[in-house]
Amino acid sequence: MSDFAALREELQPECEALIAQYPDKRSALLPIVHLFQARQGYVTRDAMWACAEMLELTPAVVESTVSFYTLFFRRPVGKYMLQVCRNLSCLLNGAETVMAAFRDKLGIGHLQTTADGLFSYEEVECLAACDRAPCMQVNLEFVYDLTPAAIDDMLAAMRGGTYPVAPLPQTAKPARTWAVAADGEVALGDKSPGAENASDPNNAGGIGDRSGVIMLDRILAEQSRFTGRTRERLPNEPPAAMREIAQEEAGHAH
Amino acid sequence: MAMRYEPVLLKGIGEADLRDIRVYRERGGYKQLERAFRELSSAQVLDLANASGLRGRGGAGFPTGRKWQFLPANGAPRYMVCNCDEAEPGTFKDHTLLEETPHLVLEGILIGAYGIGCHHAFIYIRGEFKRGYEIMRRAVDDARAAGFIGKNLFGTGYDLEFTIHRGAGAYICGEETALLNSLEGKRGEPRLKPPFPAVEGLYKAPTVVNNVETLAYLVPILERGAEWFAGVGTERSKGFKIVSVSGHVRKPGNYEVPLGVSVNELIELAGGPREGRKVVAVQPGGGSSAAIFEEHFDLPYDYESMTKAGSMLGSGAMVVFDDTTDFVKAAHSLVRFFAHESCGQCTPCREGGHWLERTLARLVAGYGLQSDIDVLESVSHQMTGLNLCALGDSIEPFLASVVKRFRPQFEARVRRNGAS
Repeated sequence: MSDFAALREELQPECEALIAQYPDKRSALLPIVHLFQARQGYVTRDAMWACAEMLELTPAVVESTVSFYTLFFRRPVGKYMLQVCRNLSCLLNGAETVMAAFRDKLGIGHLQTTADGLFSYEEVECLAACDRAPCMQVNLEFVYDLTPAAIDDMLAAMRGGTYPVAPLPQTAKPARTWAVAADGEVALGDKSPGAENASDPNNAGGIGDRSGVIMLDRILAEQSRFTGRTRERLPNEPPAAMREIAQEEAGHAH
Repeated sequence: MAMRYEPVLLKGIGEADLRDIRVYRERGGYKQLERAFRELSSAQVLDLANASGLRGRGGAGFPTGRKWQFLPANGAPRYMVCNCDEAEPGTFKDHTLLEETPHLVLEGILIGAYGIGCHHAFIYIRGEFKRGYEIMRRAVDDARAAGFIGKNLFGTGYDLEFTIHRGAGAYICGEETALLNSLEGKRGEPRLKPPFPAVEGLYKAPTVVNNVETLAYLVPILERGAEWFAGVGTERSKGFKIVSVSGHVRKPGNYEVPLGVSVNELIELAGGPREGRKVVAVQPGGGSSAAIFEEHFDLPYDYESMTKAGSMLGSGAMVVFDDTTDFVKAAHSLVRFFAHESCGQCTPCREGGHWLERTLARLVAGYGLQSDIDVLESVSHQMTGLNLCALGDSIEPFLASVVKRFRPQFEARVRRNGAS
């Protein structure tokens, strides 16, 4: 029996209990996906097929539904999923410093995983703990009143295996790692911008998102197409900072 | 000097472990549920809800009793769903109630379910509230063992089943029809209304969706009477409200107050502004509400006054901004939130939010165009009112209010020709 078949057999009674909770069995989809993810670390193709079979749905319907929800990971992630709030109340209370600290210390950006597979990092929306901002979740357990010093301690404890929150199971090598892996293989580089200049105070509110700048760059490049239609004259020469960014972008392109 | 108010729902939190059913019962817990089943008819519970003037505490402020009355009176199968998908930026009251006093939440839901005459109630808990979900699971097991859930409750022959459903990360599932889709195992996309859930909701059956705080207030209303609740607050905004105060205040937290206390008083309750700072704006009702300014701080905090000031009371999340605030970043943060949480069904919301976010990101970075500021106003205005649900309409209020008030901050982010 394959590993997955064994897991499915083990979870079958629990799945049936979940289905029995609802007047319509499709309602059990989210709980069953949670159940499999808790064991496999992410939502595997096998798990989605199993859900489809159990609930008499097509695999496409299952995948479409799973893909709607941000807490269902469709690729393998790190053992510690670090989700830092970037929303308003945290922002007013120093979330930018916290996010910059994570990016610097981990060397990765939003939606990326470290090459050793230990950490995945994500900047998320309001976690409903604004009275203890800035806040985050580690594998969905809340951590409140974050400071850079507390982050140092947290990461050290996770690396040393003494952190009180259990690591996520890891049944496959994480995708979307940023750094070059130890074996020399160039990992999948997620090009969401920001990881490389996290501490730049001019960087869109420390949010690591230069998309607006990049967009303006493209507008400038296509300036001629819009001449006479834009409501104002655009600068002829891109500023130095933007040229640097453009070169950097070119450097990352394949 | 700010007055202190007697907490109602928040009573006992921090003093005793209300998660323990024995502690909760020692303090009078589940007595009102028993009383409802033994002494009152469903219609009498509904009358109490109506007489108390209780309005929905999740954001819309719709009168609770009236919402229940929309259900057809034919006794056909119906459902009660408690909405605990709290994710409105700045709101953290349901999170606290769920984790600190789950039995009060549960008792409120069960009373509400009896009030509408349903036999299967649900709570939809936000996916991120993993701890809250586990706490509620234990609470439900304990309540079931004590005979408060299941068949033939209190020997009355009334059956009431209860299911906890956990979401998986999607703000939009707080919208009631999206919540019902998610509960049915589908993508959390809002439905076209009408039909409203009261006519065709969960599994196409008549359904009431009520917020955690709304249902929890049924317990003290039964205990102390509808007149007591209706006697507090203002003429049309009756009773108490948990206000989640956060942002630039010294003691952020949940403050339970009678509706109608002033905005200033709430700021004072939360410890006031930081040392040497002055509050310049307040968002009184969560991320979807427009900012109000100094000239409004004496207004009573109630549904009508906030609407009159051009904003809304919403979920009761008050975010306070002092004179150090960068409103371009603040606006960007909220617009990015709505752009991220758009389900993508309606073009104005999906595209409008996305492009507004990019335009704001450009301004935050200091590379804005002069025309960007007008674009912010026109796009956010034009995407309003054209969507299936209120999410797409939620961008304009705050954005427009701060662009209007703090326009120089936005203009300072415009890149001038020839500037380096």
